[in-house]
Amino acid sequence: MKPSPRPTRLGPRKGEGRPSYAEAIVSRKLPSGTELYVLENHINPTMALSGSLFAGGLFAPAERRILASVTAGELSKGTQSHTKLEIAEELESRGSSISFSSDASDPVGVDLGGAALSRHSDHLLDRLVEILTTPVFPAAELEKEKKRLIGAIQQQQDQTSVRSYEAAMRQIYPASHPFHRLRGEALIAIVDSLQPSDLDTFYRERYGAASLRLVIVGDVVAARVLDRLEKALSGWRQGPRPKWPALPVPPPAPGRESIEMPEKASADVVLASPSDLTRPERAYLPCTLANSALGQSSLTSRLGVRVRDREGLTYGIHSGFHSTHIAGPFTVTLSVRPENRAAALESTLDEIARFLKTGLKDKEFADEKSSRIGKFKVDLGSNSGLASAIDAAIYYGLGVSYLDEFPARVSAVTKEEADAEFRQRVDPGRFTIVAAGSFEGRT
Amino acid sequence: MSPKAKRRAPPGNVSSRRTRPTPFQFVKEKAGIREWRLTSNGLKLLLLENRVAPVVTFAIVYHVGSRNEGVGYTGATHLLEHLMFKGTPKYQRDKGTAIAAVLEAIGARFNATTWFDRTNYYETIPSDQFETAVRIEASRMRGSLLRDQDRQPEMTVVRNEFERGENSPFQVLYKLAFATAFREHPYHHPTIGWRSDIEGVSTARLKEFYDTFYHPNNATALIIGDFEESSALATIDEHFGRIPASRREIPRVLTVEPPQEGERRFIVRRVGQVAWISLSWRTVQANHPDTAALALLAHLMGGGVTSRLYQALVEKSLALSVNVIAWQLRDPALFSVFAPVRPGVEPAAVEAVIREEVQRVAREGVSEAEAEKARTQIEADVVFDRDSSDQIAASLSEAIAVADWEWYADYPSVIRSVPREEIQRVAQTYFNDDGLTVGVFLPKSAGSAGESAPDEEGDGE
Repeated sequence: MKPSPRPTRLGPRKGEGRPSYAEAIVSRKLPSGTELYVLENHINPTMALSGSLFAGGLFAPAERRILASVTAGELSKGTQSHTKLEIAEELESRGSSISFSSDASDPVGVDLGGAALSRHSDHLLDRLVEILTTPVFPAAELEKEKKRLIGAIQQQQDQTSVRSYEAAMRQIYPASHPFHRLRGEALIAIVDSLQPSDLDTFYRERYGAASLRLVIVGDVVAARVLDRLEKALSGWRQGPRPKWPALPVPPPAPGRESIEMPEKASADVVLASPSDLTRPERAYLPCTLANSALGQSSLTSRLGVRVRDREGLTYGIHSGFHSTHIAGPFTVTLSVRPENRAAALESTLDEIARFLKTGLKDKEFADEKSSRIGKFKVDLGSNSGLASAIDAAIYYGLGVSYLDEFPARVSAVTKEEADAEFRQRVDPGRFTIVAAGSFEGRT
Repeated sequence: MSPKAKRRAPPGNVSSRRTRPTPFQFVKEKAGIREWRLTSNGLKLLLLENRVAPVVTFAIVYHVGSRNEGVGYTGATHLLEHLMFKGTPKYQRDKGTAIAAVLEAIGARFNATTWFDRTNYYETIPSDQFETAVRIEASRMRGSLLRDQDRQPEMTVVRNEFERGENSPFQVLYKLAFATAFREHPYHHPTIGWRSDIEGVSTARLKEFYDTFYHPNNATALIIGDFEESSALATIDEHFGRIPASRREIPRVLTVEPPQEGERRFIVRRVGQVAWISLSWRTVQANHPDTAALALLAHLMGGGVTSRLYQALVEKSLALSVNVIAWQLRDPALFSVFAPVRPGVEPAAVEAVIREEVQRVAREGVSEAEAEKARTQIEADVVFDRDSSDQIAASLSEAIAVADWEWYADYPSVIRSVPREEIQRVAQTYFNDDGLTVGVFLPKSAGSAGESAPDEEGDGE
């Protein structure tokens, strides 16, 4: 996107009835570095907001990455002008919502979200800026949140899916890596130790206009929205520019672990290995197209057809790359009856090996490409879907034209490229395999 | 379809592009929804244009759910829904035309779900793929193969789905709340079924169930989004028009749950760390005049940070969250409160607060500001739903399952018209202990539970 002091609206693309997304989206880059994007859509009287800020767990000390998500969550618990209850009362009485969140699945970003009836859009934008720029992190609110969060962590530790995934991440990533996961009790101790000053310091160090991206889609007037936001954000400090160090990909740590959790009717199994795939890079599309054929869907993928449809060994099986700005793991996850663990695992590994050996079939690959293009179109079928897609394209530096180029980009991927990129990153011999459930006496 | 091609047919009867005369009867229109009926077999159609994007949702709702089941074949509706993906003469995995694979290849967002009162199948697709979805749904309405060789592996898939649910305290509590509150009416049975029925129901019994309920005259088709009406109707006629109506009458549910005559309680003890509690009061069916006030009551009790129970439980660090549901079903249902209890807090303390808060509404009523906030939240939810064709289809599917489509169309104005005094009155009417079922999920210690050491060789068991 080129910096522009005023909104730029481009005319319709020649020879076509509707403008391209790149033409229809009005954008403005503020001197502070903030980027604003608005897409008018007047069919329904609603607006959706999506945005990001580079203040995720990667920027918190390695031993307390959860500080980032607690800080994001506590932003709306009180500002210099309003208490938490006043903010909530104003939003809820209008049927509006605002959210700030950061979780471990994306170590870099904080997600901003919002929705309002269009007649309340000014109020939503004003509150969003107020919360973002003047939070006060009241001590009493943090104490309440700590109690709630500790209980929530205990709740999660009862889940076989959480326990198996976290253990796999502990095995394949060192403690310094943002995809490493602490044990529940260690996480609880960190949450318990957090003080308002920790949140305030992290906020002051990481939050600022330079890395803020906001996307608004819906029944609004673009120029008004841009003017309002520019004015409201004008006094905010710049903060750090979005950049982060390259993280080395750790070597694989093949091995197996079994976590006994009594009285669980269903068990979960995770197969994981570190990957070097990031979301913005060119290999992302080829790799994820190949993965779609292997394990994207429990109903249609090779793993789904074999392990669920033919053999009835699981309700759900999925494979995928956890790719953000930071390369995360490649994982295969499945739920199983504890007695079926060995059989399901054997079939899963065999099917992956078969897929790697034979590669994609021509029709399979063509179907995956048409599927991806069709789903992309379907996902753009709502204001919130459009806002999320534009936000993702900007967040990963792909530009708004990505929405227009997506079908051509998918079409351009060759089967050979998809097979080669996928094979380079997935090797069953490198998997760390963790199962959590009630296995004693049942396997 | 190009918006320029949009031409709405006038109310009346329309013919398909084939030669059969007047296959559709126009029934009525409200809030942009147009109801048609396929005269050859009674299939009801609801059309709503919503051109947010070049996307359309096609859905079929069958008026059969776990409400239509009995002991020995509980879960049959849901297991059948799974088998409906296994193929028809035209769509089969072995021919490379599996239903899911065909839909996946066109980029469809698709699935099927089963609930107490209905089973629905839906596809959200690029508009130019509309006919593919229609063809598939028509093919499996009467042509599903339902082979025993498919049932056997699918039964274990469904059993694993059941087992996953058993891992969730919330699901365990809601299933037992219904099982305890309803002793005679089939809402007693969970939609997924009881484990032994899932394992034991025969393919023949599933076929019988299919042959009883899967007919055009027991279904409603929804077309929502970007489509052109006359062309869409012609496509429907082409693929559904020759399917005959059921020769037998679709069986009705006769059982009526008698009034509850005293508080009921249940306790589940399982290994875990967090206790849960649920309180459920017997209420009314969705098309009852009190439904709107109960929906408003649910919002002001549990809809957001400012709601009464959030303030009384989460803000006071007694519960980790709170979920209030005014269940809207075809037959009288429940008003439920679910809360995971913060470790260290006695579930009885949370129960006492919930009881006091509901009684406070009954005793003191609610302010106009509180009532207006709840009205606005529900209205906003309806408007947000209209942002996407699949969300409209989902809401409309529920409405026709529990009442009728006009219930959906009228819902915002009905909500708007409820005075605050009505909210107090329904609290007084339904929050009585004789109609209450209390459930507690109590964690017990894990005994020898713990993680084993990582094992580099073998599988570590």
